[in-house]
Amino acid sequence: MTDGWNIVVCVKQVPDADDVSIDPETGRLNRSDAEAVMNAPDYNAVEAALELRDAVGGTVTALTMGPPNADAVLRVAVGMGADDGVLLSDPAFGGSDTWPTSLALARGAEELGADVVLGGEETTDSSTGQVPPGIAAHNGWAQLTYVEELEPRPDEGRLVAKRDVEGGYERVAADLPVVVAMGFGENDPRPAGLHRKIYAEADFEPETWTAEDLGVEDEVGLAVSPTQVGGMATADPVPREQEVVDETDELAEQITEVL
Amino acid sequence: MSETPNYDNMYDAIVVGAGLAGATAALTMARDGLDVIMIERGPSPGTKNVFGGVLYTPRIRELTDFEDAPKERYVAKKTYSMLSEEGDETSVSVAPSSWREEPHNDSWMVLRRDFDEWFAEQAVDAGAMLVTETTVTDLIKENGEIVGVETDRPDGELRAPVVVLAEGANSLVSEAADLKQQDDRDNVAVSVKEVRKYDREKLEDRFHIDGDAGLAAHYFGDGACGDAVGGGFLYTNKRTVSIGVVYSIEDAAHDDKTPDEVLEEFKQHPAVAPLVRGGRMVEYSAHAIPEGGPDSMPELVHDGAVIVGDAAGLVLNSGVHLEGTNMAVESGYHAGRAISDALAQDRTDAAALASYETDLRNSYVVENLDHYGWFMDTAAEEKEFLFDDLPRALGQAGDAYFKMDNTPKDEHVSEAKSHILDATGGWLGAAKKAWKFRKMLS
Amino acid sequence: MAATSDTSADIEEHDDVWVFVEQHDGAVASVTWELLSKGRDLADERGEDLVALVMGEDIDATDIPQQCIARGADEVLVADDPVFEPYRPDPYGEQFRHLVETRKPAVALIGGTHTGRDFAGRVAVPTHAGLTADCTELEMADGRYEMRRPAFGGDALATIICPEHRPQMSTVRPGVFPAAEPEEDRDGEIEDVEVVVDESETMTEVLDREVGDVADITDAEIVVAGGMGAEGDFEPLWELADLLGGEVAATRDAVEEGWIEPARQVGQTGKTVRPKLYIAAGISGAIQHLEGMDDSETVIAINTDPNAPIFDNADYGIVGDLHEVVPELIEYFEEHEEAIPV
Repeated sequence: MTDGWNIVVCVKQVPDADDVSIDPETGRLNRSDAEAVMNAPDYNAVEAALELRDAVGGTVTALTMGPPNADAVLRVAVGMGADDGVLLSDPAFGGSDTWPTSLALARGAEELGADVVLGGEETTDSSTGQVPPGIAAHNGWAQLTYVEELEPRPDEGRLVAKRDVEGGYERVAADLPVVVAMGFGENDPRPAGLHRKIYAEADFEPETWTAEDLGVEDEVGLAVSPTQVGGMATADPVPREQEVVDETDELAEQITEVL
Repeated sequence: MSETPNYDNMYDAIVVGAGLAGATAALTMARDGLDVIMIERGPSPGTKNVFGGVLYTPRIRELTDFEDAPKERYVAKKTYSMLSEEGDETSVSVAPSSWREEPHNDSWMVLRRDFDEWFAEQAVDAGAMLVTETTVTDLIKENGEIVGVETDRPDGELRAPVVVLAEGANSLVSEAADLKQQDDRDNVAVSVKEVRKYDREKLEDRFHIDGDAGLAAHYFGDGACGDAVGGGFLYTNKRTVSIGVVYSIEDAAHDDKTPDEVLEEFKQHPAVAPLVRGGRMVEYSAHAIPEGGPDSMPELVHDGAVIVGDAAGLVLNSGVHLEGTNMAVESGYHAGRAISDALAQDRTDAAALASYETDLRNSYVVENLDHYGWFMDTAAEEKEFLFDDLPRALGQAGDAYFKMDNTPKDEHVSEAKSHILDATGGWLGAAKKAWKFRKMLS
Repeated sequence: MAATSDTSADIEEHDDVWVFVEQHDGAVASVTWELLSKGRDLADERGEDLVALVMGEDIDATDIPQQCIARGADEVLVADDPVFEPYRPDPYGEQFRHLVETRKPAVALIGGTHTGRDFAGRVAVPTHAGLTADCTELEMADGRYEMRRPAFGGDALATIICPEHRPQMSTVRPGVFPAAEPEEDRDGEIEDVEVVVDESETMTEVLDREVGDVADITDAEIVVAGGMGAEGDFEPLWELADLLGGEVAATRDAVEEGWIEPARQVGQTGKTVRPKLYIAAGISGAIQHLEGMDDSETVIAINTDPNAPIFDNADYGIVGDLHEVVPELIEYFEEHEEAIPV
């Protein structure tokens, strides 16, 4: 009998993408009105993690790096069915770009003894997609990105993924441990059961680890981040003519001009 | 999966809906030491609520630190205007200086999405649990007693000794559980509202307001919403203006105009158009409002459950007074107290919960509803006069009375009088109408 | 306090602009030519060399290095070994790390394809590079390399800099920069580099790869897309696309109805396209779809609903049924064949 896999799923709290707007009076990004929610692609990652557990047995632990109130996204994952959740929280993490962020998560996954680490394809706020490959690189593990489907092969100690590539797909088998970036929208995230949701929100308490607990206190934060934001400007929406014509011929003429 | 506890009967009360009535009930019970859970179908409380509108806050101020609440503008001025479809406007404006001082007549314009969320948080701070994005679909009954709810989530049944039904105007659960009849069409109004965003300075200039002062404007007559019994409203928030119409669904069914067409026509009336010109529409919503008055209130108290707020038909539309939020809060408060008392005696039967209804009937809530209950019936009877003839007559009378031409003023007065008297049916008719509507002042 | 001196690079020792040449079985991804073109401009501004990096098998049987030189590279580094075909992040990553350590590039440009981003995300870690994804602008400003990219779903434009670390890495999506024409008489050096990875060290195995049978709409210059308004019938759209020399795409709803293959889905959970011309037929214009195509140069909308949001996001539109309008367009272009570019 197999013990199953130790599955870790990385999730992130982001401002609700639909609510972030530019304040017309100050010209600045208004994040404060936006509710903090779980990054939409992470729902697919959590679902994939739960499906792996359904198939091979084992445990699913949600992992997130954020401020103390980021425990909310761990509760979303636990509500859906994750067994446990760990919050990496420390002022030392402040200002981290993807390099130290993926380092902290990599150490966390290692500490948890992960066989498989899942993450969403990218976040709706930073949309770099760099953290899952970064976690794999920090730990020297295999990586599988843009995954559409997973096929666990516990007897081989491998995970097979169908990856979306330009012009088609490929199927790749990776040795465990492996980091998986799940494609956005590739599965149907299951709703949280009522009692599970109540448990996750009322009674579940995650563990919190600091930078020191992970042994990375000198390797995280703004100073260690290679990239910095040098400026932020409001982007003008693409200006469109918004002209409506009456006759198809007129439309055809406009098309001709473009061709 | 790690073990999931079973929460059946771990909570003393389940509150269906975390709007104003539900959150008040939860807050009251939580402060009495009960374990309460609110189940809200929206992503957060307030997202499913629509109102004009003005929040009346005497009880809210008692229960919470209202100065910390997110709010927009207090009502510094109220106007009532009669609009005819020919484009006339006759209005009365009321702005007592006392309203400019705290507590501002306890009348505040708020954004429900922000206020309700804050208000439910007060209940959570007091110890209540809030679960969102979960819709209660039915009640669980055993031996005629209500013992819990069913929801749309997997593993979605939850039991508790008492259920508070605070589900709002679309009270599908109460109807499904046969606790109330589906509202007759002539007991429900439809409301359509638009929120338009402006530069704060421009808004204050246009409405002659400053600081936190705001305007609550009400409109009647067929220039507001055509042939239907109802009216239009305009409320000023900090940077936005809420503009909408409320009218009887029965009329909506017979008319060939859609609610949004009615709203468009209202916005185009010459009295209204300059007030809503420009700006950017940021919200558009529609909602049902129960309007049936005290006689269409359902049975409020059952074995194991009570009904509060809009779900209980506790809305006042007297034409002059439009209230619902304060009565929601009041009913939630009395319901919470009654449940605390009943559970202290280990009872959940209707008799034990009956003090809710008694207290409610003794409060201003039902008194006012009774008092003005006749208004909706009378308005329907006198529809043509009130919404058609009178606005036009007032318009014509105003025109005549104030006409600047070379005829003597007493001829103007004569003409003005004759317009009004034509509409009322002479002096006798006027006296009869005044008698009919005497209750407005008594 | 976190230390900086161990991780920051000796800036003086790093120079040259590198471009990662993405090729699969001898076929070069078109984004590579776009990056060489932009890389050439950057290298000129910096007064440095442009170096192309090719990893694969039997590269000398192709003219890829020569093509790179014709497109502006001063030097081409070739790592040739069976371990590099097909692409896998672990051997590519290890080889790249070695090359960066020994040759110290200042800037590295990588195509923002699934391959490129899979690769860049991995190699940025051991090289401690400053990696910025999906750049839409790359500039030298006062000697500083600035990378600009959309943030918050496109509401804002962020400028990212990498002051103390090298290399500075950018991924760029296909279609952002134009590709310069090749100049056959350009000179450059081709060097075969030492291969430092071995099959025994790899952690992944490509079991199969199916490309070519599935559409790749991301490169198309002309896209004819259909939504729920097609009501199951994409025939007219296929005809129009064929006639104009473009690709057919669709909204998520149309794909979920089973009217067209998923590879042709444009939108938040589908592909992002930036064609010269995007014809949105029977598409309402929901934000999730717009995200995938609002960088198109010109957008044409056809919809029966005059209030559909697509019209606000289009340059020209017509209120009508696509099953009438599209055949009329086909008729027009059949009569005016000269209007269609070859």
